[in-house]
Amino acid sequence: MDLENQKRVKEIADQFGPENVIVVLGAAEGEAAGLAAETVTAGDPTYAGPLAGVSLGLLVYHICEPEIKEEVDAGIYDEQVSMMEMVLDVDDIITEMSAIRDQYTKY
Amino acid sequence: MNNSVLKGTGYVLVHVPGMLMHHGTTQTTERSVNPDSEYLKELPGHIRSYEDCLAYPPNQTYIGNLSIEELSVIEEPWFDKKVENPSRFGPFGEVMPEDEFAVLMQICDAFDLVHLDREFVRNVKLKLEAHPLITQSMHALIKEGEDSELIRKQVEREHAQPIIVGDQLVGYVKRAHDVDVNLSAHVIFENLVSKASEVLTILHLLRQSGIDPTEVDYVIDCSEEACGDMNQRGGGNFAKAAAEIAGLLNATGSDTRAFCAGPAHAIVEAASLVKSGAFQNVIVAGGGCTAKLGMNGKDHVRKGLPILEDCLGGFAALISENDGINPEINLDIIGRHTVGTGSSPQAVIESLVTNPLTAAGMKITDVDKYSPEMQNPDITKPAGAGDVPEANYKMIAALGVKLGQLERTELPAFVKKHGLRGFAPTQGHIPSGVPYLGFARESMLAGRTVNAMIIGKGSLFLGRMTNQFDGISFFMQKNTRKESPSAVVAPALITDLPVIGVAVPDSELGTEMIRSAVDTARKKGYQAFLIEGDACLDRMDEMLKSGEIDAAVAAHYAFPVGVATVGRIQTPALGREMFLATTTGTSATDRTEAMVRNAIAGIIAAKTCGITEPTVGIANVMGGRQCERILKILSERGYAIRFADSARADGGVLMRGNDLLQGSADVMVMDTLTGNLMMKMLSAFTTGGGIESIGYGYGPGIGKGYDKRILIVSRASGATVIANAIEYAAQTVTGDLLAIARKEYDKAKKAGLKTLIDEMKQRSQTGVSTAASIIVPPRETCTEEIHGIEVMELDAAVEALWAEGIYAESGMGCTGPVLMLNEARIEQATKILRDKGYVR
Repeated sequence: MDLENQKRVKEIADQFGPENVIVVLGAAEGEAAGLAAETVTAGDPTYAGPLAGVSLGLLVYHICEPEIKEEVDAGIYDEQVSMMEMVLDVDDIITEMSAIRDQYTKY
Repeated sequence: MNNSVLKGTGYVLVHVPGMLMHHGTTQTTERSVNPDSEYLKELPGHIRSYEDCLAYPPNQTYIGNLSIEELSVIEEPWFDKKVENPSRFGPFGEVMPEDEFAVLMQICDAFDLVHLDREFVRNVKLKLEAHPLITQSMHALIKEGEDSELIRKQVEREHAQPIIVGDQLVGYVKRAHDVDVNLSAHVIFENLVSKASEVLTILHLLRQSGIDPTEVDYVIDCSEEACGDMNQRGGGNFAKAAAEIAGLLNATGSDTRAFCAGPAHAIVEAASLVKSGAFQNVIVAGGGCTAKLGMNGKDHVRKGLPILEDCLGGFAALISENDGINPEINLDIIGRHTVGTGSSPQAVIESLVTNPLTAAGMKITDVDKYSPEMQNPDITKPAGAGDVPEANYKMIAALGVKLGQLERTELPAFVKKHGLRGFAPTQGHIPSGVPYLGFARESMLAGRTVNAMIIGKGSLFLGRMTNQFDGISFFMQKNTRKESPSAVVAPALITDLPVIGVAVPDSELGTEMIRSAVDTARKKGYQAFLIEGDACLDRMDEMLKSGEIDAAVAAHYAFPVGVATVGRIQTPALGREMFLATTTGTSATDRTEAMVRNAIAGIIAAKTCGITEPTVGIANVMGGRQCERILKILSERGYAIRFADSARADGGVLMRGNDLLQGSADVMVMDTLTGNLMMKMLSAFTTGGGIESIGYGYGPGIGKGYDKRILIVSRASGATVIANAIEYAAQTVTGDLLAIARKEYDKAKKAGLKTLIDEMKQRSQTGVSTAASIIVPPRETCTEEIHGIEVMELDAAVEALWAEGIYAESGMGCTGPVLMLNEARIEQATKILRDKGYVR
């Protein structure tokens, strides 16, 4: 995950409390989504950014996961996300995301 | 109003492992944050050699040696595959090694900031002198260099940035100001790299497009660097700085910045400047970026790959007024990501692709090829970014499904048909849409595709001035001018292609081979067919006369005296295109006159094929000097010729054997028999003299008043050559050979061609006959030489000096005939020879 984004996630978690934060990802495939999810839960696996060694354990979803899709207005979802939903391997993303959540999410 | 056209492109890579290690931000950041990291320790083991980088298939595609189609059939990953016999130079550009680039950086430095090691300069200077595009005025800028001890001190104590080639410290870039961070050694280094790679790319573009550098009137730089001092960071102007070194004397310019979308924005700007009439020839160019070298290095090392981001990339394109030939930039179809668009991928693709097409009444399937971000998947996949072009195609197809233009099941087929494999280095702006321009132009010129959409995207939020994303797309189409100036798309054009008849009786390779050549040409979009039977040549003549065919490819055809053919060949190894004037036929019975007329025929052929100002070189054969003299006078008197310069150290218009192999001139002038010999040698080069497998054959018969388009191939010409000859034949129609020939002969006539030839013939007849009456002056020591006298006139020149009381001898120097005499006589003798027309 981009170092600047790591910094922003860390600041938001500090400011509002990690239990009150959900991270929503838009990564284009399972592995990338998994890496980003790992960064905001277990910590930066590349040990390069502000989240290196910091396990925030945040709740994290991909925009194409059903939990998030249900929360979004269907019209807006169709306008903004449905195209990507068609393109992405959503099942693979759900598998990756669920594994990270099961393992590292604290909330 | 006429759309502007894409007249040429340049693509350059520079292999820079030294910069990768010492200037790429992933590495410099790691060195400051985590100096003992495993990554830094493993890094040197993952650096590729120049040879490996050159043979890497996507790199050969970037410079045009390997088509995208050929790349696509190589199984991925590509990092462990090699192209056999890779060439440093390609139709679009080259892969330059780091040592030559270091000297090029010094050439491009106007403020004495780049300092190189003396020994290093001495060695590399020789290499750079052999470079076909580095000009004399650029060579003159190379400095001698300094002691290695001084260089080490500057780097260790004075904040200079090291220049490292191999493992050696070979120089430094020093800071341009003591406190101004915008002029720090780091920034100056980055900026000079960008400038130097931009200059190199422009040189390739000039070469490819054939434009006279002085005719370029605007340059837009679209790189991602900023030059300026602390009072105007990013003040500019890279464009003009690069134009100066590239010799674009009549150009002004400015910089356009839009992150990775910069090149696409710049092309739209250039096309608009030309279409408005404000400027005629606008170059868009961008140099490479050191910071991005090895950006994904950690992932590559972790996965055991070589670090694939070891090249700087350069890109350049020439946008000119509509010439009725080159593909157009259609400004009626521009996709724009506006402030209100939003940044979801769906909104982005809608704004850039489907909205502009819908507005033009088109569907996504009406576009032959899309060129979005063309990043090489070999680089991005191991880094977790996936296959970027493929992801774009899927998104475009998915939108097509949503719009009801495509069935969901057709999605994979759409990606395959309208997509392209990525092949560009991840240098930010470099892969963004524009890497395909060169191939798109070739493909549209050959009639293989009709249109393409080029999509540039940029991440503006990286600059922290806005959270906005950005993008712009434009539409390229086959030239529509002749048919219908207002047409938006030109799918109908294919049926309007010229019709070519092929009549090759008694081919040594059989009729089947000729049939397969015709098939190949048809697959490329040309309308060609085989004329069969014993009387096929007579039939061909009739069909030409009746207009059933527009041009013909033939063997064994007899032209009248006054007509000779101009062959077209790619030089071995370098693959440069060159016209051999002439290869069959007889343009005149007098040898020298024939060579002069051959030169004009060569110019006509080159111009017909879209080279607006071909360079002309004269083979160093008997009659060459006389031909040179007449052409030079002709040029001064109004028949402007752009003379080539020999690649040999002493230069000159006369071309040696090396120049033939290097393709130092667009048009090589020689007598027909020599031309015929060269044609056969160069085209059968790779088959050991068997089948003629390279080039376009012996070319069209050209002569004053001759009004047919008949191109010659031989009985040993292979399928590729015949297919190419069909393409060449089609170009004689689309490029209007006959009109160009009329114009050129008319211009040459007005410049006094006939008088010059008559004078030359008279001189060679009277030259020798006076010998008996001349007394040889007393012998003197001959230490000086006068060059440039035609061998057939050498004895007459010696006698002319004897007649004036000057002792002289004739002799042969290593480049041709010389006249030798005492040094005290040189001035007087030169004057006499000049007055009598023996030298110029």
